[in-house]
Order: sequence, then C-alpha cells, then structure tokens
Amino acid sequence: MITRGLSYGLLSARRRVRDLILPVITTATGAFLLVQVLSLAGSVRRQAASLGNGAEVYRAVLLISVVVLLVGVVEVAVCATRTISQRTREIGVLGAAGVRRAPVVAALLVEPVLAALAGAVAGSVIAVVGGAAASAAGLSSSAPDAAGAAAGVILAIAVSLIASLLTSALPAWRAASVPPIRSLSSGG
Amino acid sequence: MDRATISADHAAPPGRADPLGDQAGPGRQPATVPRPPGGTGGRLLRFALANITRRRERFVLSTAGIGLAVMAVIVVRTISVGFASSGSASLADVLHGNPLWVVPADGVRYDPGAGTLIAKGVPPPLRLPAGWHAQRAVSGVWDSPGGELGLLGTTVPGGHAVLGSAAALALRTQPGRTVTIGGHRLTVSVSGTGKLVSVPVAAAEPVIGTHGWWTVAPPAADRGRTDLGQLLARASGLPWASDPARHPAAGGPGLIYDTTGTSAGLTFAQRFSALFSGRVTSSALGLVSTVGLILGFVIAVSSFLASVQERRREFGIMSSIGLADEVLYFFLVESGIVFLVAYLAGALAAGAALALVVPGLASLGSWLQASGIVAAYLPAMAIIGALVPVHRLLQQRPVALLAETS
Repeated sequence: MITRGLSYGLLSARRRVRDLILPVITTATGAFLLVQVLSLAGSVRRQAASLGNGAEVYRAVLLISVVVLLVGVVEVAVCATRTISQRTREIGVLGAAGVRRAPVVAALLVEPVLAALAGAVAGSVIAVVGGAAASAAGLSSSAPDAAGAAAGVILAIAVSLIASLLTSALPAWRAASVPPIRSLSSGG
Repeated sequence: MDRATISADHAAPPGRADPLGDQAGPGRQPATVPRPPGGTGGRLLRFALANITRRRERFVLSTAGIGLAVMAVIVVRTISVGFASSGSASLADVLHGNPLWVVPADGVRYDPGAGTLIAKGVPPPLRLPAGWHAQRAVSGVWDSPGGELGLLGTTVPGGHAVLGSAAALALRTQPGRTVTIGGHRLTVSVSGTGKLVSVPVAAAEPVIGTHGWWTVAPPAADRGRTDLGQLLARASGLPWASDPARHPAAGGPGLIYDTTGTSAGLTFAQRFSALFSGRVTSSALGLVSTVGLILGFVIAVSSFLASVQERRREFGIMSSIGLADEVLYFFLVESGIVFLVAYLAGALAAGAALALVVPGLASLGSWLQASGIVAAYLPAMAIIGALVPVHRLLQQRPVALLAETS
C-alpha cells in the first residue's frame, strides 16, 4: 500500500510542478552555498585566517552555511503545508474510500522530499560545475577541492532530505488523521 | 466576536448615531453591541493571535525560517562587532591619547595572531612645528616563549613592561615579577586584556627592529584645534588624511593620520573600527548570512501569500462591509508577531550557537550589540512582508474574492 501511496504522490506532484519551483530554488541556494564553502575550503580558511582566529571563523562559516540551507528547506515545508491544506477534500475522499493513513502520509511526503532532493542536487551541481568552470577560466584564485565538494554534496542532500521529512511529516500525519467526514465537509 | 465588534465600530463611528439606538422607541433601552475589553490595538492583537492559533504549523514554519535567518545574521554581526572592538583597542594602544599618527610609506597592518597593529616600514623623517612633541614607537611580532605576542616599543617608564592579560597568561607571569626582553630586565605590570607587550623602545628594538611610527601631540594651547593634520603636514612636508581607509602612497614619504574631528558623524576611531568589521561582513561569512536573510524574507512573504490565498473569502466579506483597509492592519499585526517571535528565537539561538561553536569570537556585549543592530531593520522587513501579499489582495474587488472558493 505504501508503494501505491508513493505512486499516487508522484502523480500528484507532476500536477503541481509550478508550486515546487520556489522551494526548489530556496533549497538549491542553500545547497549551493554549502557546497561552495566546503569545496573552496582552502580559500575560505585562508580568508578566515586573515581575519584572525582562523579555525573559529571557519567553523562559523560552516555553521552559517548549514543554517542557510535549513532556511531554504523551511520553504519546502511551508509549501507542503499549503499543498496539504489545498488537498484536504482529496485526503477525505481517500479516507472515505478506505485508504489507510500510512499510504496517505507517504503520498503527501512525496512532494516535499522531491522538492528538497531536486533543490539539493541542483544547487550542488551548479556549485560544482560553476566552481570548476570559474577555476578553469581563471576567475577563482583556488581550484575546488574534490573531496570537499563531495562532502558538501552529501551533506547538502542529507540535511535537505532529513529536514524536509522532519518538517513535513507532522502536517501530513495530522491531515491524514482527520476523519474523512470532516475533511470532506471543511476542505477545499 | 472580534470581527462582529470591529464591524459594529465601523457602522457607528464616534459622533454618529448608533443605528440600533435610532430604532429604539420611547421607553426602550437602546440595544448595544457588547464590546470586548481593550482598545482597537488589543482587538487586532487578539484577532491576529486567533489566526495564528488556527494555522499553528504555518506560524511555526515561518518563525523557524525567519528565526534561522536572524540567527545567521546575528552570529556574523557578533563576530563583526568583536573584530571592530579589536580594531578600536589596537588603535588606542597605538595612539596613547595623541591626536596625530605618522605612519611609514609601506603603511601598517593588523596582525591577528599577535592582536596588534604592526608597522611595515621605518617611521618617515619628521620635522615638527615649534613646541610640538613627537614620540617614536617601534612595533612587531615577538616570537616569545609563550607564542606570538605583539611587541610595542613606546613611552613606557624605563625598567617596566606593561602586558595585556592574555600576554601575561602566555608568558606565565604576574604583576611585580620580571621578564627579560631584548637583554633588558623589566618589571611586569598588567593592563588591558590583549596580547600586547609594551616596553621602552630600547628594549624592543633588539627584538623586532626599527619598523614603527610616530605619534605627535601639539602644545597644550593648540589641543582643541581641528586643523592639526594640516599644521603638521605644512611643517613636515608629509601628506595628511583624516580617513583611516586611505593608505600611504607606495614609495611616498609616509602619511599623517589626523585622528581629531568627525566625518559623517563618525570619529576616526569609529571609522577605523568599521574597517575591521567591514572585513567580516564582506567576507564569506557576511555573504552567506546575507543570502540567508534574503531567503528568510522570501519564506515570510511566501507564507503570508499562502495565508492570503486561503483566506480570500474571509477578506472578501471584510471588504464588502467596508473593512478593506483593516485587512492591512490585520496582516501588519500578524506579521509583527511572526517577526518578533522569530527575532527572539533567532537571537537566543545565535547566542547558544556562539557560545557552543565559536566561544572565542563572541562576548555578551558584542552579542547584545549585534542583536540590537539586527532589531533595527526587522520592523521594515515585517511591514514589507505584510504589504506585499495585502497589496495583491486589495487589487481585487470584494465580489471577486467572494466568488472564488478558498
């Protein structure tokens, strides 16, 4: 049943691609910055050292980058609550037809997970390709570090996915737990 | 209840007859609509709180988004304020209360490891007006037994060394003990908190060489003058500047900094500190946090737009009974609450993050100062965050809002 819920969620997500553009952009922005900071760690460390207390300043840069990624992912959750609110009647119909809570929750989580994943991947790709292109064109003072970039990509995708799941799970669970009669009578 | 009361207020504004009262016949008490306690502000606040409670998840998410952005900015601002304090302290160490500072052609730099200003060349030859006094100082980094420390050769009484508390800690010494620098046995006293060691010039020169600067003071009678830089420039033939951002010309004779007077309301020391904080805000830290703040604002507007979309019919009803302008107030109050809660949460989170992750870069004072700076521009963001969605709403006629399903 979960698989069917995911398939249903995927079909629904295709109809709402336009609504996912903003969360994808905000997540991509956060992911881009995080991957940039980690792939250009040498350059950022040098800049941090020139300010003094290099190690601490670099830690602060990393902290701020992760926080900005989380800010981007919050938009995914805002979008998810909006979508769930718009689909209240649809959720009621599913409940009335006997669909259990778990597949409904899975269907509702497809959109935020897809948006977070697409944003993190897009931001990472732009950061890696852009960094390499800037280095090849001589626009960047230091070449991107492959290991740092890989760590950045993994961290960006992991943080985006976990944060989007954590922030969207509760609204999805609550919406799927409402009795169908209430969803059908109050939803839009 | 709130909406009914607000509607009643508009139906019967002050100075106009109550429509219910007009219909009351002789011997009948005029009917009145019960008013909830509190003024208009209180009612708006309760209305906003009721809406927030109805959409708790969205409120939490908007607050989280803005709060995280606020946290990022406060962390960076706190670090920036800390660096500005370092700049201010290092300048005070240099000037010793003298109004003029004559630096070599190669200029000076701030050494973050030693926490002090270091000259990059020897002081230029200097001719003084009659009655003026100049003190040569040498500065450099001392590779001491306790690590790198700033060493300043200046007007310290012979036989004494004045250490910042961090320098005393590094050298594991205390006031009253002795320390040997450049072959001179000096009695230690502690003043300030930095890593600077101030000793007589004769003790410093064997260790760090002759790179340094002049500090110049006019006679007591001329102390209040605002053209001290020009006077010294005329006598010495050196160029002068009152802007710390200006550097000496490469290969030139050096430069006189006049630290008296203000420019755009800022003293020389404040502008010098701003150079330090500007290095932080223009670094990767500043850029990343600025992007975070923009994202936070986008989330706020997106969340308010979603709220407007869901409440179109509600606002259609309000507009149709003459409460179109009040819709803006509702949103302003809601936006204000969201931004206020986000700011408080963000400031506290920033304080915790600073204490846990970068304790050496922050102090309570710099955190408070940074929180104050960020608080200054949040009201504007709250107002714009409310105006954008409401403006879109008010573009439409009430009937159009009522016609569509929410």
